[in-house]
Amino acid sequence: MKNFFKSSGDSYIKALTLICASLSFLAIALIFYFIISESMEALTKVGITNILFSTKWNPDRNQYGILAFLCGTVMTTLGGLIIGAPLGIGTAIFLDQVAPRRMGEIVRRGVELLAGIPSVVIGWFGLTILVPAIARVTNSSGYGILAASVVLGVMVLPTITTLSVESLRSLPPELKEASASMGATRWQTIRRILIPAAREGLLVATILGMGRAIGETMAVQMVVGNANQLTFSLTQNTSTLTSRIVTDMGEAPPGIFRSSLFVMALVLLIFAMLLIITIRLVSRKKGD
Amino acid sequence: MHPKTADRIATVFFWTIGLITLSILLFIILEIFGRGLLTALKPSFFWGQPKTDAPGGGVRPMLFSSIYLACLTILISLPISLGAAIYMNEFARRGRFTNFIRFCLDSLATLPSIVFGIFGMTLFVIRLRWSYCLLAGACTLALLNLPIFLRSTEEALRQVPQTYREASMSLGSTRWATIRKVVLPTAMPGIITGAILPIGRIMGESAAVIYTTGLFVNFLPRSPLDPAAPLAGYIWYAQTEAWVPDYRQIVNGGAALLLIIVFLINYLARKLAKVYSEKKTLGGI
Repeated sequence: MKNFFKSSGDSYIKALTLICASLSFLAIALIFYFIISESMEALTKVGITNILFSTKWNPDRNQYGILAFLCGTVMTTLGGLIIGAPLGIGTAIFLDQVAPRRMGEIVRRGVELLAGIPSVVIGWFGLTILVPAIARVTNSSGYGILAASVVLGVMVLPTITTLSVESLRSLPPELKEASASMGATRWQTIRRILIPAAREGLLVATILGMGRAIGETMAVQMVVGNANQLTFSLTQNTSTLTSRIVTDMGEAPPGIFRSSLFVMALVLLIFAMLLIITIRLVSRKKGD
Repeated sequence: MHPKTADRIATVFFWTIGLITLSILLFIILEIFGRGLLTALKPSFFWGQPKTDAPGGGVRPMLFSSIYLACLTILISLPISLGAAIYMNEFARRGRFTNFIRFCLDSLATLPSIVFGIFGMTLFVIRLRWSYCLLAGACTLALLNLPIFLRSTEEALRQVPQTYREASMSLGSTRWATIRKVVLPTAMPGIITGAILPIGRIMGESAAVIYTTGLFVNFLPRSPLDPAAPLAGYIWYAQTEAWVPDYRQIVNGGAALLLIIVFLINYLARKLAKVYSEKKTLGGI
């Protein structure tokens, strides 16, 4: 009898902890459910093509095209990666291979601090320092894709650095030793051995940095200008998906307008899932 | 080019990159503190009432909201992630199901925080009719931070040597008794450290908070169902709305104050983690 209670206690606890573990699935399912159900109104009344492939966004005139914001997201993300990825990977190689111990420690701490700065503070920095500087140099308002790209570059830098360092550290030390014992210089070892061996890891680091750049909201909203226009100029006011959601959600009345903001969230959701699947594919390839 | 020359150029190149990264950080921190530190450290600012019509307002309710929200988030998130970590580490066998859970956690970790924000708004604020309140924000942030909480909790459990479990089981205890009396007490310092680390992130989070918790209050929230205005969201709001003449002052001071708090918490958490890991290597606990 006592044993019975003991084992039933075990299975009770097991069930309870299983529920906790399943909560992550429940959360994802609920997020999908609510975002999709809220965006249905716009999707059915306006039509998917009118939303996805139109650049005309004018809720007063019943136009809900999000293509301009989609382009804004793509361009600011690319811009952020162009700035952040080389710096991040370069810093990682510096930390792992080049830096003397003390210097490495200082830079590592610095990257940790940078990672901890809240996005609204980075946004404040962009708005107060970066935007006026860009305005002075380019003779424009200073807001736009360039400012957003620099801000995002700063924000993805710690993500990419930390993950790249991890992937470099996980390489077997014999690789480096073997290369050095063949008489290779440090640069030859880095270029011919370490970077090719850590390629998948560096790629995953960049993709995760990309995820952070696509989803970054407050900092981008503060420096991108929030205009409704499609632009390929680096210094004209424009919007991204995230900045549009956060700007309009407060004022959008329930109805097609609000629903169209959820369509943007749905697009972000799909982006994020695609990134996760890509990362799974890349790391599985590495596993084989 | 001679390999030696190329190597020297590369060394200079990587040093430059490392120094650029470091100077970006220094530049940002110096600018923020240079413009806001004096305001941030004034008691009339960090402990003063906000004003809507005159200059000289403070951020006491916002500071309090941030702390309240962080505590509430941990209170919700810790039991859940502890339960989930116990399942993943003590009960589950590696297989399809745990793989699937990890996939869900990875997805949660990648979703933009604004998506969590408007999800929390739809579910908690509108559908469940909680209105803007601390609880809605805390539930949203608990989901947002679940992957981080879970990872550190699981790490703490994994640090407990397998022999402890075997010894306990061989004395005839059940799995639950083993977990309760052996695994959890041993892992507790790691679990606590893991619970403190995300506080900095929670206090800095704004996108997930502004449409769930609220943007402005001028009283201290009491119940979890009271509206609140965490500092990070308030900085954004003050900047965007700019309704008082000295909003710049408030935003500068707020940014510096937030940065000080976040750095302090992160520093303490790391310190704690270090003390804990040193103790462990000495065979203590």
